[in-house]
Amino acid sequence: MRAFLLRRALHAVFVLWGVVTAVFFLVRLTGDPTPFLVDQSATQQEIAEARHQLGLDRALHVQYLEFLGSVPRGDFGTSIREKRPAMQMVLEHLWPATVELAAAALLLSTVLAIPLGVASATHKNGVVDHASRLASLFLQSMPSFWLGLMLILLFAVELGGLLPAFGSGGVRHLILPAITLAAAPLAQNVCLIRSGMLEVLQQDYVRTARAKGLTERLVIYRHALRNAAIPVITVTGLSLGFMLSGAVIIETVFSWPGMGRLIVQAVPGRDFPVIQAGVFVFALIFVGLNLIVDLLYTVVDPRVRLT
Amino acid sequence: MAAGSQAAAQPRTVDGTAIDPDAELVVALADDTTNMDPRIGMGSIRSNYIRQVFESLVDVDAQGRPAPGLALAWKPVGELTWEFALRRGVTFHDGEPFNADTVLFNLDRFFRRNLDKWGLKDVLAATQFEKTYPFVSRWERVDDYTVRIHTSEPAPTLWDFIGREPMVPKAYTVKNGVEGLNDRPVGTGPWKMVEWKRKTSMLFERNDAYWGTPPLFRKMRFQTIPEGAARIAALRAGQVGLIEGVPPFHAPALGQDSRLKVASSPQKLSCRLYLNGRPKDKFDSGGKDGLFVDQRVRLALNLAVNRDAIIKKIFNGYALANASPVASVSYGYAAQEPYPYDPARARALLAEAGFRDTNPLTLQLLFPAKHYGQSFDEMTPAVVEMLKDVGVQVTLKPVDFATLLQTGTKGTLPPNGGFTACRTGNNLDADDYLRDWAAIALINWVPYPPELMTLYTATRREVDAQKRLRLLADLQRQVRDWAPVVALYQEVKVYAHSARVLRFTPLPELNMDFRGVAVKK
Repeated sequence: MRAFLLRRALHAVFVLWGVVTAVFFLVRLTGDPTPFLVDQSATQQEIAEARHQLGLDRALHVQYLEFLGSVPRGDFGTSIREKRPAMQMVLEHLWPATVELAAAALLLSTVLAIPLGVASATHKNGVVDHASRLASLFLQSMPSFWLGLMLILLFAVELGGLLPAFGSGGVRHLILPAITLAAAPLAQNVCLIRSGMLEVLQQDYVRTARAKGLTERLVIYRHALRNAAIPVITVTGLSLGFMLSGAVIIETVFSWPGMGRLIVQAVPGRDFPVIQAGVFVFALIFVGLNLIVDLLYTVVDPRVRLT
Repeated sequence: MAAGSQAAAQPRTVDGTAIDPDAELVVALADDTTNMDPRIGMGSIRSNYIRQVFESLVDVDAQGRPAPGLALAWKPVGELTWEFALRRGVTFHDGEPFNADTVLFNLDRFFRRNLDKWGLKDVLAATQFEKTYPFVSRWERVDDYTVRIHTSEPAPTLWDFIGREPMVPKAYTVKNGVEGLNDRPVGTGPWKMVEWKRKTSMLFERNDAYWGTPPLFRKMRFQTIPEGAARIAALRAGQVGLIEGVPPFHAPALGQDSRLKVASSPQKLSCRLYLNGRPKDKFDSGGKDGLFVDQRVRLALNLAVNRDAIIKKIFNGYALANASPVASVSYGYAAQEPYPYDPARARALLAEAGFRDTNPLTLQLLFPAKHYGQSFDEMTPAVVEMLKDVGVQVTLKPVDFATLLQTGTKGTLPPNGGFTACRTGNNLDADDYLRDWAAIALINWVPYPPELMTLYTATRREVDAQKRLRLLADLQRQVRDWAPVVALYQEVKVYAHSARVLRFTPLPELNMDFRGVAVKK
């Protein structure tokens, strides 16, 4: 296990170096941020002066080496637009807003998916199964901005302000964005659990468990579900990564001050330091989640060994 | 105590309606500001936040006309000097007095002089005063409330480009640095900033020591709600009191709701089709002049656009046709004869310029998608179809705004290139628009010919106000005929608010003004 963790840590360093290097050069290929910072009537001379002040007129390799030297210190420079430390801006949006929303959506999409998926599989082709599959189809195919706006219209407008239409700052504010963000992963998880359970329920060990006289509840939740859950863990890990790194549309519709919108706004604004800091944090999240998913496999399925 | 007694003296009714002096008004805006230090920049979003806290020497009235602000009066003293008489008894939110020293300190910041003396860090400013206005030579304090600014050449617009810049406190800025000023701004304005949650909201509290007409409610929150439909839903749910950027076709429905009101005002936002008429040594041309150097071609394209249809069908009436290069709400604006919609004459002019069916005019049109609000994205394709109707072969290429700016900066527009974009400004004088064609800049793709440059220079030198207004009118008429751009429309900004909000009048400026506004009990 120790060797596994050490190797993964080394891999992570290489992945992160690759990501920051790629993003450093890619953002510079997209163009120059200077025109955003000057008046539209600015002359070439004024623009050149602004580029000099930003240090963008230095050779690219000089900029890169300086950047690479600063990254281990967590210093990604100062936001070109906001004149504040880029990493501080990203972390302010990550915690608590993004983490809160992702955690709530994760909870909803997994906690609800388990009973629904199991019920769907154990009542195959019954009313529950049909209803659950239809609902999954509906939730997966609905654009999140539409669902979000419909929820706002229903709960904030038609029901007399039962829930807030925008903003963050409490459980009431969290409900609508979390439901919207959880909708698609919930549907996906229900389908995965259903198909996994259908397969597992045909296995010999399930028949053996039933023959031993175990209750159906124990058979399903102790023997079948654990085996059916492995693909769900993989998908949930990836879903959480996406939830943490860019629920942009949900953040826009609900004015949620998360990280996704910060980075998406930084891209057209050519705010290089914020993009670089944001992508670094995204990469770190994905690397970390992948490691956690691998470790979880060993907990859920003792046959899996990490070497 | 003084503040308390002033607050107590506030009216309890407005137009016979009982008001709530302790109310909090939530205003939904499409975005947060990126900075509060006015030196960094004052774009359309930022201006809305900054001007609640900071004030300028020159204020504006509801019609966009210059009005006394922190200066009671301003006048030229001879050809090369302007004198500002400052308002007495004004203090910043922290109690620091506003006086001549404040103005001199701000002038030092504008022109990046004595920054070492004040121990201030330089900031990358949108307008580099020392380069844009190099003729401003020095400034002096005449007495505690009088300042003179000297120039090396006559500068009739100095009252505007200096007067409209917000004033920051000297002692506070020196003590806290520009970061402190930016994070915890302290101004003389009607609102004090008390909390700023970035990308979320900004909370203001009324400045009870304000020198002018104060807002008649205690707190105001600017709430960021990026999505237009979500802003409307929040207003209808009663969770915000006022929203900006109402899509034109939503306005009638909101206006029919008895709980809401719709208000609108022309803006200093002129949207145009820019055409490449630069000579070959002024851009990355591959040895060719811009295809639109010929005035007849540009005029033809102006005659090909049916502005009435655009305004009626795309903007639901919330836009203006304006043939002047100057916004209708700018100082010195002179209305010009509209370009008629005359496709036959447009075809004839194109033929005269050598563009017939066998040799059609081509236009590679860049279009900054998803950047400007209020139906701009629907407008450009409509214009393209109108140009096609007179035989122009148009290739429409949506780009992001940064790419468009990049093209402007590098001068890489193709010889047959053009782009649609909107022009705005923080200044009041017509010069803010008329200087667009004076020097090669991001948006100058058809530089003034010598005779217009001479006339433009005369408007920059004439200090006598009446004579200058005549020169400005003449220049606008000539620019209209010379047609450097295809004038498309001037924006009318639409707001909607709760009927509880009383006396809200939108300004033709980039910012909203809540002085004198009340909230019904």
